[in-house]
Amino acid sequence: MFDISIIAKYSGAFLDGFAITAAVSVMSILGSFIVGLGVMFACVSQSKALNKFGYGYIECFRNIPFIVQVFFVFYGLPELGVFIDPYTTGVLALSVAVGAYCADILRASVQQVDREVIEAAQSFGLERKTIYRKIILPIALRTSIRPIGSVFINLILTTSILSTVTLNELTGTAKIIAAETFRPFEVYFFLLLFYCVLTYALSLIISGIHRKLNRQFLVGE
Amino acid sequence: MSNHEFVPYDILVLLSGISVSLYVFIISTVLGCAMGIALALTRHYRFPVLSQASTFTSEFLKNSPVLVQLFLIYFGLPIFLGINLTATEAAVITLTGNTAAFVSVIVVSAIASIDKGQIESARSFGLSEVKILSKIITPQALLVAIAPLIGLAVNQLQVTSLISVIGVMDITKVGQILNQRTWQPFVVWPVIGMTYFLLSFLLAKVGKRIENKLKQHQHWENI
Repeated sequence: MFDISIIAKYSGAFLDGFAITAAVSVMSILGSFIVGLGVMFACVSQSKALNKFGYGYIECFRNIPFIVQVFFVFYGLPELGVFIDPYTTGVLALSVAVGAYCADILRASVQQVDREVIEAAQSFGLERKTIYRKIILPIALRTSIRPIGSVFINLILTTSILSTVTLNELTGTAKIIAAETFRPFEVYFFLLLFYCVLTYALSLIISGIHRKLNRQFLVGE
Repeated sequence: MSNHEFVPYDILVLLSGISVSLYVFIISTVLGCAMGIALALTRHYRFPVLSQASTFTSEFLKNSPVLVQLFLIYFGLPIFLGINLTATEAAVITLTGNTAAFVSVIVVSAIASIDKGQIESARSFGLSEVKILSKIITPQALLVAIAPLIGLAVNQLQVTSLISVIGVMDITKVGQILNQRTWQPFVVWPVIGMTYFLLSFLLAKVGKRIENKLKQHQHWENI
């Protein structure tokens, strides 16, 4: 019979798994945003070589499954003499892979910024760096926060794949609990609900940021 | 005896992996599209209980990891219902459900993009609901939905790599086996990655061709 109360006994283990998932998610959200910014700058730069690199990066990492990338990093780095734990491997692989998605969204919204606004800034004699920091990026972030939010929601779901490289985050923990209790259906069902709650929480946060960034456009609230 | 070298037979193994991946991908995409359209229609016509159930299911499937869904179906369902499932069946069921969830969202928004006035005027002409669906909604909704659907297909092709975790012999599993035998990750994983890359590229190309075909009559400059 369906008996979800089994989970209660393992709440401690679940919380440990959740802590790892949360840590990996937060670290890779930051990491992928930074990678995304970097690659975006390569895409919009004036140098042809950097452009090529940027677009190539996006194409490459978006069209190769994440699990293959993780295996490459996980089995490949020790061959190079770099020994890092699964946690760092996960953060590294996630940042690199999800960075491509971030870069694509940021690039699209940076290129959408009105040319006139940039020309006005240039005619004021602002430096390129200042124009990006004070004018282009704030405008671009306003439009890109929602799509980037859904990329980050996807990132949380993707952390489950790290259980295949021996990281005991939520999914890895659930695997152990399912094996111990012989009740895989309840355990995995609960886990699915748990991920739904997590992503819902993140979507609420994203909506909050979106409102905050776009507050000057809100009417009658 | 040492078998740490690559042998020509490995290419055959890789090809069989590709065929398994494509098999699961094609079946789950076709079934998933059919199911997703059915789910979307229940929402479009606002069937009482079914439409809420369809919204809930698609949100649930969209907001949870495919890997855990796979585990639920492959490890959980057989024990829960007392049935037997092979890994491939479990993979097809999971990916079908997952594809259906995303397809239903795309189709719902494509149908919503059609002007309500058109449907109302069609009704006032006395067209049956089936006629309205096939002659008015489908041709227009298809144009809106085709681009996101192709994007989804490319994405789902990569999601099929997860089925290697439950033991289906797809491209990724072949990669794992070759990696463990030869222990040359710098050869194996780039090759596997390139295989997926090429497949996605081909799929996107075919998709673009279908899209152009559908949008052929939209070039107004000839009128």
